[in-house]
Formats: sequence, C-alpha cells, structure tokens
Amino acid sequence: MRPFRRRGGDVVARLDTAEAHVLGLLLDQLEQLLDADPEDVDGDPVMARLLPAGHRSDPELAADYRELTEAALRSGKTDDLAAVRAGLPPGGGEVRLDAEQAASWLRTTNDLRLALGERIGVTEDTEPPEDPSGEEGQQLAVYYWLTALQGSLVDAVAAGRDARR
Amino acid sequence: MAGPLAPTRTPDPTVEEVEDLDRPWVTIVWNDPVNLMTYVTHVLRELFGYDEPTATTLMLQVHEEGRAVVSSGPRERMEHDTSRLHAYGLWATYQQDA
Repeated sequence: MRPFRRRGGDVVARLDTAEAHVLGLLLDQLEQLLDADPEDVDGDPVMARLLPAGHRSDPELAADYRELTEAALRSGKTDDLAAVRAGLPPGGGEVRLDAEQAASWLRTTNDLRLALGERIGVTEDTEPPEDPSGEEGQQLAVYYWLTALQGSLVDAVAAGRDARR
Repeated sequence: MAGPLAPTRTPDPTVEEVEDLDRPWVTIVWNDPVNLMTYVTHVLRELFGYDEPTATTLMLQVHEEGRAVVSSGPRERMEHDTSRLHAYGLWATYQQDA
C-alpha cells in the first residue's frame, strides 16, 4: 500500500492486488450485515456498535431515537459503501478520491474497523500481532492495515482543509 | 454539566419547552478503543465547525475522561447531533443535563 496523500484537490493512494481483494471482501461482509433481516442480527454487538442506542438508560427515548434515525443512518451507510466499491480498483492500483468520495471512504473504513474491532475484541491495550499467521493474527493484521489506511486518509483530508483556510 | 467548551445554542422556545429551559439537553461523545484520535478531532471540526484547538481539547477529554459534552440545546437538535455523530461512527448519546 502507498498511503493516502494529498494531490491537488484529490487524495490518492495505491493498493496492492491482495489489499484490494481483502477490502472488497470486507465490504461484502459489511453489506451482508446491513442487508440482514434485523431479527437475525438482533443482539449482535457489531450491529449495536454500527447503529448505537441514542440514550444510555431510557429505553423509551432510545426507541424513539431509533425510529426517528435508523432508516437514514442505514441508507447513509449503504450509499457510502457503494461509493467505496465504485472507487476501488478490483485488481489493485490507484485510488483517487474527491472530497465527497473521501468522506464516504472515511466513514466506511471506520465502520469496517468498528465491526472488526468488536469481533476480535480490540481494547486500548491491543497491539499489532507478533505472529500474523494464525486466524486471530490475520484478523488483527487486517485491522491494523485498515487503521493505517484510514489514518492516512484522515491526515490527507485534514491537510486539505487546513490548506483551504 | 456542560463544559465551558460546549457551545451554547440559542433555543427556540415553544410552550412545551419553556419548563425545560433551565435544563438543556446535551450530546455526549464516549470513549471507545477503535476510533482514531485524529478521526474524532476531524469529525468534531467537520460537524460542529470547531476550530482545531477546541476540537482537540474535546477529543482529549473523551480520551482521558471517557466522555465529553460536544453540544447542548433543545432535545430535537441533540437528537440530530447524535445521529450525525452516529453516521460517522462515533459513540454518542443525548440526555437532559443533570
């Protein structure tokens, strides 16, 4: 991977074939979760993290909030996901994003990190895997790869905003 | 409870809201182990128009104290702010200020 950098009004990165493939698979998994019958994923901690409760202790308020906002949150995530897929070269290569596409990539890579982080139980003390060969090590390696990708994108987008001001 | 950095938004008082005027609603961002500090700062700047030092101070408060009030005002506005933060994957809730 060549991390995201600012180039003119765009941000540009380069992904290897394997990286583009993994990102594509993660997008498929996120899409399946978002498309799932809500009853099938009820109580799934990943869904609880992607569509959190709006209130911590008042179930009535939390239910009101969900009714009011969940449809829009879901469709926003679906639109972002489609935008990321559209900008991802299937066999790897250059990823070039304008400001709007970059915002979709930021939100979707964050959702992927939230979902993966919840599944593998990431805490403040989690560190990159010493041995990325087992299943757990592989998942952690993917998590840290996403972290590097998203981190470079945040920095590139923030640098563009500072340059405009 | 609203910290000195939380913006005061002028409520638009209606008959129902008058009794709640003394206790505004607040939107709180909670710490989580996944969201990057740079990302949280970016989102607070983007959504609330905070300058960099303000957004960074709020982000550090979330990171170090576990939570920070990022906006305050009428309930409907706090619902809206919470959903905007959720769209970016931040862990946010709203409540009436204690």
